[in-house]
Amino acid sequence: MDLIGSVVVAGLTTGALYALATLGLSLVWGALGMLNMAHGAMLTLGGYSAFVIVTRLGLPMPLGVLASCVTGAAAGAVIYLSVARPLLARAPETFETTIMIATFGVAVALENAILLVFGGQPFGQPVQIAGTLGAGGFTLPNQNLLIMVTAVLLMLAIAAFLKQTKGGRAIRAVAQNREAAELLGVPSGRVYLLALALSGGLAGICGLLVSSITQLSPTLGADPMLKAFIMCVVAGLGSIPGGIVASFGLALIESFVQYQFGARWGFPVLLGIVILVLIVRPSGLFGRNQVRRL
Amino acid sequence: MTRADRTQLLIGVAALAALIAVPFLTDSRYIVGQVLLGLFYAAIASQWNLLFGFAGVFSLAQMALFGFGGYVAAMLCFYLGMSIWAAMPLAAFAAAGFGLLLGLACLRLTGAYVALLTLAVAQAMYLLIVTDTECFMMIGTQCRQFTGGAVGFARFADLGTRELFGRDWLVANYALVVALFALVMAASWLIIRSPLGLAFQALRDNPGCAMARGVNRFQMQLYVFGFSAFLTGLAGAVYAAHFNAIGPGVLSLSTLLFVIAMVVVGGIGRLWGPLLGAVVLMGADEVLREFGEFRALGLGLIIAVSMVAMPNGLIGVLERLGALRARPKGEREAANG
Repeated sequence: MDLIGSVVVAGLTTGALYALATLGLSLVWGALGMLNMAHGAMLTLGGYSAFVIVTRLGLPMPLGVLASCVTGAAAGAVIYLSVARPLLARAPETFETTIMIATFGVAVALENAILLVFGGQPFGQPVQIAGTLGAGGFTLPNQNLLIMVTAVLLMLAIAAFLKQTKGGRAIRAVAQNREAAELLGVPSGRVYLLALALSGGLAGICGLLVSSITQLSPTLGADPMLKAFIMCVVAGLGSIPGGIVASFGLALIESFVQYQFGARWGFPVLLGIVILVLIVRPSGLFGRNQVRRL
Repeated sequence: MTRADRTQLLIGVAALAALIAVPFLTDSRYIVGQVLLGLFYAAIASQWNLLFGFAGVFSLAQMALFGFGGYVAAMLCFYLGMSIWAAMPLAAFAAAGFGLLLGLACLRLTGAYVALLTLAVAQAMYLLIVTDTECFMMIGTQCRQFTGGAVGFARFADLGTRELFGRDWLVANYALVVALFALVMAASWLIIRSPLGLAFQALRDNPGCAMARGVNRFQMQLYVFGFSAFLTGLAGAVYAAHFNAIGPGVLSLSTLLFVIAMVVVGGIGRLWGPLLGAVVLMGADEVLREFGEFRALGLGLIIAVSMVAMPNGLIGVLERLGALRARPKGEREAANG
């Protein structure tokens, strides 16, 4: 019984992490139609920033958390200003593919810059809490609980932001129809910047959380990003609630498969499910069947 | 034959002549070896360019198809004792089959979805091979995995060039790779000019209009996917035969990145872009080798910067220079002023 319990705990924890990564990716896809291949590198950057602040500089933990968020957001803003804006301005019709290649390059450069600065050896993430909660043979490490709670809080915060605030409404307006939004006075450039910075900040926190249950290494963000891609595809790119449901569902399936058949089969089984879903519904489970004007 | 065709053909003949001249101009085995390696990259890059630059399919499974061809050739030789000469075409057909299956699964989607799904399939293949630890057979006291595991396969093929040509075997292998490259380029050029080629270029430029005129997007893209998978798999098999080894390293993201970088730097959607990109990047790689650890960082930056700064690559820059010069003088001044 407690074995099943720990499989569920592992599934929910990774699900929460995937959901955060997916949320960041979806936000940017929805607003800009941009697939950010550097999202994983922003995760890594967030994890290392907290490490630098807390372990290297000896500052308190909350500052470390803040640093991950700020660094991630700054990376997002820099990517928008240096890569996305010029590409979007020059040829909006090929933006969907050119931005993938360009951010792919940025991702490799960032990952290797981190490798050069910190070296390839893994570090422990200092920002975490110890101890476990237990009741009747069922244990729940505090860190896992923290991850789930943080993820849920962040998702609620983002949902509230998108629904209630001016900036959030602007992001949704631009996502629905950029030209109409611009005509009504929404500055689309600033909205894009906001969306990417927000996604970067989320990525930073997500990277911090991922590294707290694994280790800090330059390739830290690659696996969550690949999984987040899968979740996005299953849910339909840009569908935020769909992405969250898919993240938890698939993470639970993954951890059961890994427990039952061994760790190496987790990913291939996920992939098989994705391909099946796409054969039945090519735009994802929750994706809008978009009618594109040509 | 139009003027553009003649230019392409002229460049092709010049490139071939230059490639044939290389072993006569230098005795250095290192240089011949590097040019040979560059030709493999140029061949893979040209197929990615065919898919993305001409057909508009953004696939990230290029190295997976290359590795698939190499692995099939290696396994046919290793397990069935087949001659490598027979295994190479078989491997190419197997890769085409794999490509068609992959296309069936992915090409119903478009744009970013195709990229994500092909990337995921390629990564899954890489992870499954690297983490394979189950014993398939014992060789001596050593355990051998079915897929070769993290080590891969080695010493399975004999092209016969060492026996026939003795010390000049490298030049003989070089000739084989030049022939492969010539075949790949000629086949790509023919397919681009064929009705199929016109159809998939129309789909790339204006999918709505092309589909309204009765061009079946899924079918056309599936054909070109299978076609490029065949040539990519063949290149993989020749690669395995030449090096007499194949391992999961070819499937890694950094190799894929190197190939994409060649196309981006050379010129997306330009027939000779990948070759120019391969020359430039192999050269840059030689220079960056001095600063070993900065290699990947440099490559990443090269991709991002050239994507932003020169959308049509070096060939695009050359074309623009040519167009400027071709204009009458007054117009040129007007354009500059």
